[in-house]
Amino acid sequence: MSERIDQLRAEFERDLAAVEAEAGATALRDRWVGRKSGVLTAEMKRLGGLAPEERRQVGQLLNELKTGIEAAIDRLSGEFAVRREAAQLAAERIDVTLPGRREVAGHLHPITLLRQRIEDIFVSMGYQIEDGPEIETEFYNFDALNIPANHPARSRQDTFYLSERLALRSQTSTVQIHAMQRREPPLRVIAPGRVFRRDTPDATHNPMFYQVEGLLVDRGITLGDLKGTIEEFVRRMFGPQTQIRFRPSYFPFVEPGAEIDYSCFKCGGSGCRVCKGSGWIEMGGSGMVHPNVLRGVGIDPEIFSGFAFGLGLDRLCALMYGLDDIRLLYENDIRFLAQFR
Amino acid sequence: MKISYNWLREMVETRLTPRDLATRLTMAGLAVDAVEAVGDDHVLEFDLTSNRPDCLSHLGVAREVAALEGIGLVRPSTNLAAVATKTIELTAVEVLSPELCPRYTARLIRGVRIGPSPEWLVRRLEALGQRSVNNVADITNYVMLETGQPLHAFDFHQLRGRRIVVRRAHVGEQMTTLDGELRDLTPEMLVIADAERAVAIGGIKGGEDSGISAETVDVLLEAASFVPGQIRQTSRALGLATEASYRFERGVDPLGVLDAADRACTLIVAIAGGEVLDVAIDVFPGEAALRAAENPIPFRAERYRALTGLSVDIGEASRILGMLGCRVLPGADGESLSAVAPTWRIDIRIEEDLIEEVARIAGYDLLQTTLPGSAGAGAYLAGEEDRRAIRRLLTNAGYHEAVSFSFVNVGLDALFSTVDESQRMLLLDPIDETQSHMRTTLLGGLFRALEHNFNHGSRNVRLFEIGKCFIGHEGEDGRPREVERLAIAATGARHELDWQNSSARLDFFDLKGVVESLNEALGLPPFGFRSIGVDSHHPALYPGRLYPGWLHPGRAAEILLGGRPVGQLGQLHPHIAGQGRMKQAVLLAEIDLAALLNSTRPESRYHPLPKFPAVVRDQAFLIETSVSCDSIISAVRDLNLPNLVDVRLFDIYAGRELPAGSHSLALTFIYRADDRTLTDEEVSAAQERIVACLRNAFNAELR
Repeated sequence: MSERIDQLRAEFERDLAAVEAEAGATALRDRWVGRKSGVLTAEMKRLGGLAPEERRQVGQLLNELKTGIEAAIDRLSGEFAVRREAAQLAAERIDVTLPGRREVAGHLHPITLLRQRIEDIFVSMGYQIEDGPEIETEFYNFDALNIPANHPARSRQDTFYLSERLALRSQTSTVQIHAMQRREPPLRVIAPGRVFRRDTPDATHNPMFYQVEGLLVDRGITLGDLKGTIEEFVRRMFGPQTQIRFRPSYFPFVEPGAEIDYSCFKCGGSGCRVCKGSGWIEMGGSGMVHPNVLRGVGIDPEIFSGFAFGLGLDRLCALMYGLDDIRLLYENDIRFLAQFR
Repeated sequence: MKISYNWLREMVETRLTPRDLATRLTMAGLAVDAVEAVGDDHVLEFDLTSNRPDCLSHLGVAREVAALEGIGLVRPSTNLAAVATKTIELTAVEVLSPELCPRYTARLIRGVRIGPSPEWLVRRLEALGQRSVNNVADITNYVMLETGQPLHAFDFHQLRGRRIVVRRAHVGEQMTTLDGELRDLTPEMLVIADAERAVAIGGIKGGEDSGISAETVDVLLEAASFVPGQIRQTSRALGLATEASYRFERGVDPLGVLDAADRACTLIVAIAGGEVLDVAIDVFPGEAALRAAENPIPFRAERYRALTGLSVDIGEASRILGMLGCRVLPGADGESLSAVAPTWRIDIRIEEDLIEEVARIAGYDLLQTTLPGSAGAGAYLAGEEDRRAIRRLLTNAGYHEAVSFSFVNVGLDALFSTVDESQRMLLLDPIDETQSHMRTTLLGGLFRALEHNFNHGSRNVRLFEIGKCFIGHEGEDGRPREVERLAIAATGARHELDWQNSSARLDFFDLKGVVESLNEALGLPPFGFRSIGVDSHHPALYPGRLYPGWLHPGRAAEILLGGRPVGQLGQLHPHIAGQGRMKQAVLLAEIDLAALLNSTRPESRYHPLPKFPAVVRDQAFLIETSVSCDSIISAVRDLNLPNLVDVRLFDIYAGRELPAGSHSLALTFIYRADDRTLTDEEVSAAQERIVACLRNAFNAELR
């Protein structure tokens, strides 16, 4: 009888080796251990005709064979399932190097980027951001700023007039006057905004540009406070290694006045193309608020003193981003605008 | 302005090299832009501030160097031999316009030989960019560069009547200047005339037929002072700027006039020969006013400390001011002084000016760095948080920020604006005649930017700008209202980077979505939208308001906030798009930013999360296309069904099998009660009411 078992086992091994697809595994199971027509099922039924002793022996052998066959088929099916799943996933393969789905990012204007940075620094230093009109009277644009009656800046060559009395402001210093008229000292003001001068556009000029004006009025304010404030600003703006120097200069609304230079953010002061070899970059004008300006807005210069400073954003923009032609700033070419962050 | 290092050293023996001197002067307020080696000399190129005309000469700069280094100053020498004949015997000077000419002096030099200048003189002038003409003319230039006093030499025998009259030009008077140009003069201009005619434009340029020529034997040398304002105006009016006008319009010391004349006479005699008649004619009507202006200015050590943060020794301050030419009077307390500024320092008038002088000569590098004590918290401009939120939202949505000029082409502006001509502001002297009006809308600038981008090959363009527009003249002193606006423009691909949807183009609803999301970003209640196109531009419907003709009449909406119009949104009219050669749809919106920033925001309040599930019903209606989605949803809302919590559009279908002029609107209705799960019957009853309502109101059929 055991020969019969060996024969069955060999036959199954042959069948098993011949299976090539998952369906074959199911057919194999039906053929060998299927409830109705399975080969082993038929063999089991035949056991009834054997003597009890032999039935027990053969039954055991058949059961062992059946367990082995079922395990082999399960193993085979499992392998097919794994292969099927793997093939399925392989078929779902995508090209992960294809671009992601998103909107093209828009960008802020470089002037806005710089203005916001500067505002953030000064707000953290206790300054209030203020705004003023772009169209001003001669009083705010010149008289209140102590600009002499015959000063060239007042001429129609230099300033855009809209009428006898009204002009496009030629400096954000006008906001100083509005701020001091509105509020009592102590005050700390930063005024960014557009200003206008009758310059024909070229690589370094536009008839419109942006300035940031600073003003601080309090008791006991000195040139040293101005220097310390500017130093703090440039170090936050350009890095802690930045140096500044003050040169005497003239602006009608300050006295004493100073031009501020800061050490080049590119080369650190050794001289490069950005700073034209000097190691220094001009930041802008500054000084102690002129007593005539203070008196004009009803502040007693013997009790209060203050400093003011101004810087040009367009030039700063050109230096920081390496612009060779500032006309690009107001052409709104998206190939230009998309470059800044 | 150029200064020769060697020439400077004739007056002050500086210990500094040309480069070190340039740095020293720069740090003292006389900015040197460049140092250039010329032969055995160095030329320093200055960029002087307008308050320091006293330094427009070698003598002026030498004075600064002497003060900075604490060393002596040697003035240019004069040496005139005694001559028996007096100037007054041969000529006369009459100043008829003392208000324009505070001082006029004349000297006569007889028997000069006009010829080329000696080589040293030619070289010196050329090093400073001046061309040599002849010996006498060169000497007048040389002395101007040396002392800062412009001079003019007349051929004495060309002066009719042998006299000088300083007067205003006559109406219609003309004169040919040395450059050969015939000049039309006006009575606002000052001329130097002889007995008959103008022979020079005072302080600006000499006349052609009274100048020095090879035949000149006797020279009348003019050294005078002129009022700066008149020189500036005349120079501008004639378009004629000269070395002389440059100096006079900034201010020349009236007390240096005679020294300069004597110095020039000394050089003329030495180089061109001749003799100088005795005693210059000196008409000085401005002398009294000049003397009256010489007031002692106080200087307190305490005030110095208060403004600079530095202490000062009053003796040191006195020494510095003295070196600069001030007459210093000591104060009684040893902690103050007073100083009379020299007449060449027109910029020194008050104590703060003296403080700057002492501080800059002592050196600004002595300044300490201190920080002012705290005085309260900083703050952004009102609304800045919202502006930043808007900028963030729009850049995230793919919009680049544009910045355009505040002045524009009026034709372009008018295309996008309903502002009346009388409400516009225009520049009197624009740089570009075509850009002469203040903008009344931001859309003109954005349209121009779209065109620019199109012309440079960019077809997918999204831009926004935040800025001011200028309308009317009702403000103080005739100022316009400056209105802050937000404008948005978009055209091209809807999803530029999406390779699976590359053909989709932006349309009205893309920009509307952006506008709607502004509310979310700012925490405002939702905008309303009202068609302002074909069905509403009738004046009876919108009295006093103009239909925005720049928009497509079927695709234009007014943006409402709290029921009030705050802007417009729509597709650019194809006619205008065509002008910019844009064939694709261009979407535009402009919103009054102040209305957004100033509107009150509903506070965020917590609502308990629902405890019972919602019942959702979708239903499609066949309805005429002229019925707006808004009116349907409003009609449903107005039923006030107790458990209907939301209704919204989820699909529109317009197939050919539908009746013409109709489409199918699919709506989602969401029902929920707070206290129980709703039954099917309850919801169906509500739906029936909706169906009936829409049938009655809009003839809508259930599909």
